[in-house]
Amino acid sequence: MAATTHKMFLVACLVFLPIFASADTCLGPSVSAETYTTSEVTVSTETVFIAQFTLTCKNGLQNVNLYAEVAGRMIPAVKTSKPNEYQISITDEYKALRSGTYEAKFYDEESFSALKKAKRNNEDSNSVTPLFSINISHSGLWQGSYIQSEFVAACVAILVWWLAFSAKSKLSP
Amino acid sequence: MAVTKKTKLSREEELLLQDFSRNVSTKSSALFYGNALIVSAIPIWLFWRIHQMDLWQSAFLFVIFSLVSTYLVAYAYKNVKFVLKHYIAQKREEGITKEMMSKLSEDKEMTKKEKDERVLWKKNEVADYEATTFSIFYNNALYLVLLIVFSFYILKNMNPSVYPFTVYQLLNSIITNSQSWTISAQK
Repeated sequence: MAATTHKMFLVACLVFLPIFASADTCLGPSVSAETYTTSEVTVSTETVFIAQFTLTCKNGLQNVNLYAEVAGRMIPAVKTSKPNEYQISITDEYKALRSGTYEAKFYDEESFSALKKAKRNNEDSNSVTPLFSINISHSGLWQGSYIQSEFVAACVAILVWWLAFSAKSKLSP
Repeated sequence: MAVTKKTKLSREEELLLQDFSRNVSTKSSALFYGNALIVSAIPIWLFWRIHQMDLWQSAFLFVIFSLVSTYLVAYAYKNVKFVLKHYIAQKREEGITKEMMSKLSEDKEMTKKEKDERVLWKKNEVADYEATTFSIFYNNALYLVLLIVFSFYILKNMNPSVYPFTVYQLLNSIITNSQSWTISAQK
């Protein structure tokens, strides 16, 4: 009788174990994200991509360690002070990050190690499914205006002064 | 008796003196100082918001040099006004005389001397008003053009604390110009 009870307990454990184990994986992730990309060269030295997002899992999992793959770079996602809010950022030269839409793929620890393994073995990294992805749209860089505003201001000031000077010359011989 | 004769001036003489005097009326003076203060305060905005100087840290310099600048710009207004007034009076003389004579022609009782006095007074008024406004306009235009050219181009690579010197240089140019005109006019 005792042996039967033990067997029953073992079966129950085997049945429920995957459910408890799945508590480490974020199920049905929903993400609300905000992205920023450098828009002009006059106030920056490099192009920066920043994505900040809040992750909500259906199974209520919190503080998941996330990793991202953006533009061929693999980086960890940083947790912010708010719960379930993460941020990633990459910087590079203007030429290295051209305008376009970049897909930031996010992985948890398990899938990230699978991705690293696939890369190491030169396998197709697309075979590893990311947890979710965010599109970062970079609309390119504004190179600055051709004419500087102080030049326009100087031209207007010189023109006004010239008018005043010619009027004065007409008045006094 | 002879002394009183010498000191007592006729109305015509007083008008003539007023015409050639360097002194300005209180109204003109207030106008000059008010305008000079406004135009002198403009660089504060430029150096604070555009050149990123700290407003409170440099407040002492801003206040002192704006006040010095106000005095000097008002001085420049006076100088330019004094020079221009005579030229304007000469230019407008004919027109004013014609206008005043046609106005006063109906008045048969008025003597010729009185009519001349009226013409002189009107001429002085017109020249004074025109010279005042033109002097303000001309000096403001010169001040601002020098300010922009100096601060953005000539002194571009200098430390921001150069502000007082910039203003000082600008004012020096204005005052020197004004004085040279005055001297040439007096000659």
